[in-house]
Amino acid sequence: MASSQAPGLGQKLRQLWNHPAGPKTIHFWAPTFKWGISFANIADMQRPAELISYPQQCAITATGIIWSRFSTQISPVNYNLLAVNAFMAVTGIYQLSRKIRHDMEKKEPEAAAAATTA
Amino acid sequence: MAAKQGVVQTSRFAAWVSSPTGPKTTHFWGPIANWGFVLAGLADTATKPPESISRNMTAAMCVYSLLFMRFAWAINPCNYLLFACHASNECVQLNQMRRWASVQPWAADYGFAAKGAASAESK
Repeated sequence: MASSQAPGLGQKLRQLWNHPAGPKTIHFWAPTFKWGISFANIADMQRPAELISYPQQCAITATGIIWSRFSTQISPVNYNLLAVNAFMAVTGIYQLSRKIRHDMEKKEPEAAAAATTA
Repeated sequence: MAAKQGVVQTSRFAAWVSSPTGPKTTHFWGPIANWGFVLAGLADTATKPPESISRNMTAAMCVYSLLFMRFAWAINPCNYLLFACHASNECVQLNQMRRWASVQPWAADYGFAAKGAASAESK
């Protein structure tokens, strides 16, 4: 049994479970599920680069950056939200770089062909 | 709107601009950034073929927006801008999901294959 002076593991877990922003509330699951977007983006890194959508990846990157800042300005600071948004921004930047690199590589042979035929 | 000596009369707009959740703060720009998802979704619906839709990302967005609709309602104070944003995103992403499903090989079996899409019979 936990002593009154040093809360044991059971009591700590119960405190977490009953926390107002704990796993029984939307305050926990909404930011936690945001990781799903990052995981979906990582899965999409296997897809060919021409299927990447510029508007979507720009939205993901911008959202990630702005909400990372947001989560440090609210009270209390929400490190879970900061982590998920920072990670989301990184996956967005990586996907954008893949797409840009693909588009540049596509332009080079076209430009070379245009130069030789001109 | 004349400013009296020693009394600052601000318009409602000016009061909003300098409010703690106004456009000078991240509390405003966070939800605004999320409208980017809605605009990106609409742009993709209008310009991209259904074959380019990512099933994983669209499904993740559908669940995400549902959760954040509830979140925006449950926080104190209610963030109506965030709620409206995620409600719109939910509609846009569900439509994208429908477009993705309409070009899947199994769509014809359920009667919602896209017109002119390669059907299972052509295999």
